[in-house]
Amino acid sequence: MNVLITGAAGGLGRAFAIECGRRGYRLFLTDVNKDGLMCIRRGLERQFGTTVAAIDCDLTRAKSVDRMLAVIDRYNIRFDMLLNIAGIDFEGGFMGRERENVVNIVALNNAATLRITHAALERRRSGRPFTIVFVSSLASMFPMPLKAVYAASKRFLLDFSISLRQELKDCDVNVLTLCPGGLATTPEALRGIAVQGFWGNATTNSLETVARKTLDLALAGKGLYIPGGLNRLLSLLGKIIPRPLVAAVIYKRWRRAQSRWPTFTAN
Amino acid sequence: MKSVVITGATSGIGLETARVLAAQGFFLIGIGRSVENCKRAEKSIFSDYPKAKIKYFTADLIQQREVLRVAGEVQDCLSENCDSALDVLINNAGCVRSWYTTTDEGYEQQFALNHLAAFLLTYKLLPMLKKAKGRIIMTGSKSHKGTKVHWADVMLHKGYNPLKAYKQSKLCNILFARGLNDRFAGVGIRAYVVDPGLVNTDIGNKNTGTLVNLIWTLRKRHGVSPAVPAKNYAFLCECDDPPEGLYYYLCRERSYSRQVTQENADRLFVLSERLCGISYNDLDL
Repeated sequence: MNVLITGAAGGLGRAFAIECGRRGYRLFLTDVNKDGLMCIRRGLERQFGTTVAAIDCDLTRAKSVDRMLAVIDRYNIRFDMLLNIAGIDFEGGFMGRERENVVNIVALNNAATLRITHAALERRRSGRPFTIVFVSSLASMFPMPLKAVYAASKRFLLDFSISLRQELKDCDVNVLTLCPGGLATTPEALRGIAVQGFWGNATTNSLETVARKTLDLALAGKGLYIPGGLNRLLSLLGKIIPRPLVAAVIYKRWRRAQSRWPTFTAN
Repeated sequence: MKSVVITGATSGIGLETARVLAAQGFFLIGIGRSVENCKRAEKSIFSDYPKAKIKYFTADLIQQREVLRVAGEVQDCLSENCDSALDVLINNAGCVRSWYTTTDEGYEQQFALNHLAAFLLTYKLLPMLKKAKGRIIMTGSKSHKGTKVHWADVMLHKGYNPLKAYKQSKLCNILFARGLNDRFAGVGIRAYVVDPGLVNTDIGNKNTGTLVNLIWTLRKRHGVSPAVPAKNYAFLCECDDPPEGLYYYLCRERSYSRQVTQENADRLFVLSERLCGISYNDLDL
């Protein structure tokens, strides 16, 4: 199994890389963080003795992606699976951020994801099934004031992946969308979970379990994975309750949480 | 002048041990995670013992490249001040993590800090320890009993829980000490594990979730002051002849888990060498 993982140097991407390493898959890792990428590559080789290739790449820049694809083509590497993990999260009000930072959320979470997905599908191993995982978020289920751009970018991924799944069904391609709540990825994320108190802990899923189950479900042909019973319930409520009301409730909750920790992140 | 390197030397057991050894005239090299905490610790020891010889270095030992970097700085410091001889290395830095979290290499963080960081730092400082016929002391815990090393999944990727990971990492400390004695007692290096008992420190309150935080806050109230185990470290540092035991509690030998066998110690040694990308044989002591 040849797997391409984006955003592999940290957080959820690293968790997926470890899970794939445990399974003995051959890995092609990419991330914008070159040092981190070399660290995880070394760690996986030492831990599992698997074949790991890694190239740093800024997915938001077409040229950077072209350079990576050139290497992939030179060695004629072909894939069975694409894990689209690279993404960013910015907290805070729309006007509370620099203009380009706001635009960058969409540039990476959406534009870059489309770019690499298109490229990887063109480079699928012929005659074999292909699997794609998109990382949306529980945030995609609701309009989310104070995480407005992030939540909308995740909504884009959710809708896009459901459509793509339908389009590619007959080509032996399975598309799964992962919609996690909080994940214990970085120290900032951990603090973010902590300041939310009860709800933070209750909606947080353990990283390694999410990675394992996502792969199991994706390979079993499933299309959507929302980890955690409470998160599934919340996503259901998001469908029933009128969206302006959801927005009002969420605004209240996030304003309170963010006042306790000014610079926190959560998925 | 005798020299000592202590990791996690800015709070809790590490800081109190540093204070005691600095008072007794050791050249103290402390390692801490934040510049601020290092400065505070240095100041606190100086205010008690104005003549103490202290040098603090900052490193996040959970990451291997940080261990390698700070090891280089410590080596330079020892060659400038102590004729490249190290009398005591105290591998004390440790952590608890509520969630399964990994280092940049993808190693589980408790295993990475509580065991692998000590394994790698000891490797880098071993030639200087040999020169002084030095001693290596790990901070262990009684909780190492009643567990084993989960060889098939040493990072506890499946079925992680904070206590299970902590217990295993503390068992690894004893296995590592045993492995060191098996290999290097012949050249005069001895390794020990101190069981500090239940001590009132903040280990369970740093970067942990609500539950671990709460449990530890309640539990640590029953703990003794860090000054109590500090005496145990001082005892192991100062005996002229190296004590014969492996595992010490309140300056006395204490029994340890039956899992501490040469076979397990060797197995951990080989695994740790692979995970750190080193070979102790290359040191050619």
